[in-house]
Amino acid sequence: MFKNFIFSFLILVFIGISITQAQAPNWSEEKNIYEKISDVQLKLINGENISLHQLAAQRPLIVALIFTRCTGVCSPLLFQLMENLQHVPSNKNNPYSVLVVSFDPLDSLKDMELMARRIELQNNKDWQFAITDNIDQLNASISFNPVWNDEIKQFDHDALLVGVNSDGYITKKLIGLRNEKEIGLLISSINNVFSPTYRLPTSSNLFSCFNYDPTTGKNTPGLGLLFIALPAVISFSLVFVIRYFVKRKAV
Amino acid sequence: MENTLLKKNTALWIITILVLFVLSIILGIIMRLNQGAVIQLSPVTFYTDMTTHGLTMIGIWFVAGMAGINFIMERYVKTSYWANLLAYILTIVGVVMLWVSTLIGNFHAGWTFLYPLPFKIMWSAWATPLFLFSLTTLGVGWLIWCLSLVTALLKKYSIPQVFAWQHFKKNPQVETPPFVLISMISLVGIITCLIAAVILLVLLFSEYYSNGTFVNDALLMKNLTYFFGHTLANEMLYLGLAILYELFSEISGQPKWKTTWYVALAWNFTLIFILTAFFHHLYMDFVQPEGFQIIGQIASYSASLPAAGVTVFSVIVAVYRKKINWSLSNLLFFIGVVGWVIGGIGAVIDATISNNFVLHNTLWVPAHFHTYNALGNVLFSLAFFYWFSKYYTHSKSKDRFSTLKLLFIVIGGIGFLLAFYIGGADSIPRRYSDYPEAFISAKALAAFGAAFATVYLIGIIILFVNISNRCLRILFSRS
Amino acid sequence: MQNSLLLLFLILAGIIIIIFTYVFLSSKRDEQKQDGMQNALQKRFWFILILFIVLAIFASITIPKSPYFIFADEQPAKVIHVASRQFYFIMSSQAIDPENPVADASIEVPLNELVEFRVTSLDVNHGFAIYNPTNELIAQTQAMPGYVNRLRWKFTEPGNYNVYCLEYCGMAHQGMKTSFIVK
Repeated sequence: MFKNFIFSFLILVFIGISITQAQAPNWSEEKNIYEKISDVQLKLINGENISLHQLAAQRPLIVALIFTRCTGVCSPLLFQLMENLQHVPSNKNNPYSVLVVSFDPLDSLKDMELMARRIELQNNKDWQFAITDNIDQLNASISFNPVWNDEIKQFDHDALLVGVNSDGYITKKLIGLRNEKEIGLLISSINNVFSPTYRLPTSSNLFSCFNYDPTTGKNTPGLGLLFIALPAVISFSLVFVIRYFVKRKAV
Repeated sequence: MENTLLKKNTALWIITILVLFVLSIILGIIMRLNQGAVIQLSPVTFYTDMTTHGLTMIGIWFVAGMAGINFIMERYVKTSYWANLLAYILTIVGVVMLWVSTLIGNFHAGWTFLYPLPFKIMWSAWATPLFLFSLTTLGVGWLIWCLSLVTALLKKYSIPQVFAWQHFKKNPQVETPPFVLISMISLVGIITCLIAAVILLVLLFSEYYSNGTFVNDALLMKNLTYFFGHTLANEMLYLGLAILYELFSEISGQPKWKTTWYVALAWNFTLIFILTAFFHHLYMDFVQPEGFQIIGQIASYSASLPAAGVTVFSVIVAVYRKKINWSLSNLLFFIGVVGWVIGGIGAVIDATISNNFVLHNTLWVPAHFHTYNALGNVLFSLAFFYWFSKYYTHSKSKDRFSTLKLLFIVIGGIGFLLAFYIGGADSIPRRYSDYPEAFISAKALAAFGAAFATVYLIGIIILFVNISNRCLRILFSRS
Repeated sequence: MQNSLLLLFLILAGIIIIIFTYVFLSSKRDEQKQDGMQNALQKRFWFILILFIVLAIFASITIPKSPYFIFADEQPAKVIHVASRQFYFIMSSQAIDPENPVADASIEVPLNELVEFRVTSLDVNHGFAIYNPTNELIAQTQAMPGYVNRLRWKFTEPGNYNVYCLEYCGMAHQGMKTSFIVK
């Protein structure tokens, strides 16, 4: 019994070693947290002119920075965000809207509208597409530094999502393509839900005990939790197994 | 007819434990003297000393409880002499390996060896694997011993009987003696935490021998560390209580204590609560989900309720206006219960999350656990040792100076502990080799504690000479 | 806070000692009739019930004061990032790059406003315990590698606050210290 347990345990360990890592969050996500995002004037594709803080005051924001000529990460970023948000719809208890802003000065409102049409979000009230004349200020306030690469005629830039609460404060940033859970955590943060902890990149996430699920606000058990429950399960089973064998021997 | 081999083995355990106890107290006093700036040690020496002191103390009082219940269990069921002897040999080997890794190899990650500290080598490189192997040796020996005792019990009692479930009904046919019930409850808890230790060690070895390809999760490791460490330290107290339930009435010349429905219920509850109480070690790790933290607080409270409610009350009922043949043994039991309850109060205060916020890892922590060890569990085991040594040498001599011995232990203990409690209230950190100047009272308190610990040590040495002499006679007697 | 806890402890310990001494002495009085306790079972029931109620009240009062719930719905005025390492703290009002950690020359936090410490470790487990100018421990959290703990606190007294490591982290643990100013 015990040997079997150790054996299967070792197998688990080696599976653990061979599993690839989840995408690691970047430390620079910690920059600018609880600072105010620059209150730039936005031009929305519906023709409205509004400042970023006013827009955030209506509903807390997830700000996505893209440019329309992008052949790289911009489209995957938006598609994945769209996909993930389907599981966490904006509602009364958990309101948000997505603000897609172009950081390319060459992008016009028309370009943004075409983009919105292309992904069929032009009439979705949870999504806003905008350009601004003060993109440098906005970039500076969120430490976003796209660099023009003349060889490929593209910007080198991070896939960045910024959470802004209704007071205009940056509550959380996500860099890179991220999973549904982390998007959920972003939405909780812009609604000022305090979670006393979050995790940093580690080389193994396999044995973590808990995964915070912001859609339900609960921690879902991870594989590590199994290891905490295992000793009790094994020892109680041992009691039964021992009793079974001594009884059989006695008979 | 008593089993002679078991008797000799128990005598051997007692002598070994007392020798190691005296040595470990000296290590403890050295630490307090250094903190009091009476002597000057390098921090490495201090922390090596601390690691050795902690693990040796936990180890010896655990095996003291085990040796005691093994001996008494022979009254009810046939236990395995070989498992007892094997555990003895492995314990000796394990302790030697441990002392080599700490005192020669300078391993000093603390007895909790909290991951990833053992891997940040600040000592001889061989000391880390030696330390881990010493734990493995101890763990294997103890696990086999526990399993053999559980097997012995299950040969006679069915599972509902061994947990005394038949006592929930009226007029049970079979009586489960309280000793059997509490031993079983404690053994299951101990096996559980030893398995947690096995998992912990496998994970540590995996990382150690994987050359960096496998890295553990710090939260999981911390949970496992305290699952093992806290539960073991807690369960060993219950081993002492099992002996108390058996011997207190016998020594006092009273009828034997019986299992009743509430005794059965209380101890069954204890088994469950005790396995989740360790969460209170992680209160200040906000990464642990809040639900677990609250379970930790409630389980810590609840674990104290049945055991304390039933045992304390049983002792009070047994003594209150009853004729008692007071001897050193039952006095030690009686005082031990007081120490255990007072330590428990300190523990409940610290197991409250909002108090833990300002008490965690201050001297309050060693204060409370030294209370129910030095003035609780140790006294239970000493009571057993003393009774054993007197009974089997047929010594009819009256206890001489027993009040004096007790006074040394109690006064020394109280002074030593008070220095810890006051230090905790003064926010003085635990596990500091020297205190920064900002902690004004720290040095004086440490020196004060060391002085009283020396008084305690004198009491222990007198008892030690007494008990060991008789145990040596048992060891070398023909029958 | 700590002193009132010590007082509570000493009072309870004193009561226990008095009860046990009384019980002990009662067994030595020979002239009295040795009749023991009447209705022990019933008394035990009441004893456990009262103990249970006291503990339940104590729990329900203290749990909401746990550090995970205090200041949860307020917006911090200042965030301090803390990365701990054997045997020093790196504190910065900017995010800290684990590969190239840089500490601010000095840290100042505002008085009577909410401050959030985001505490992590770059190597082993450490503690992050804040001591007020009179050297009382007022708040703490653990620094665990791979995780960030968010400790929120409002400072009501200006002055120099020390931070000590309270989780044993190796041979220079006792010297691991930093400080900040509350203005």
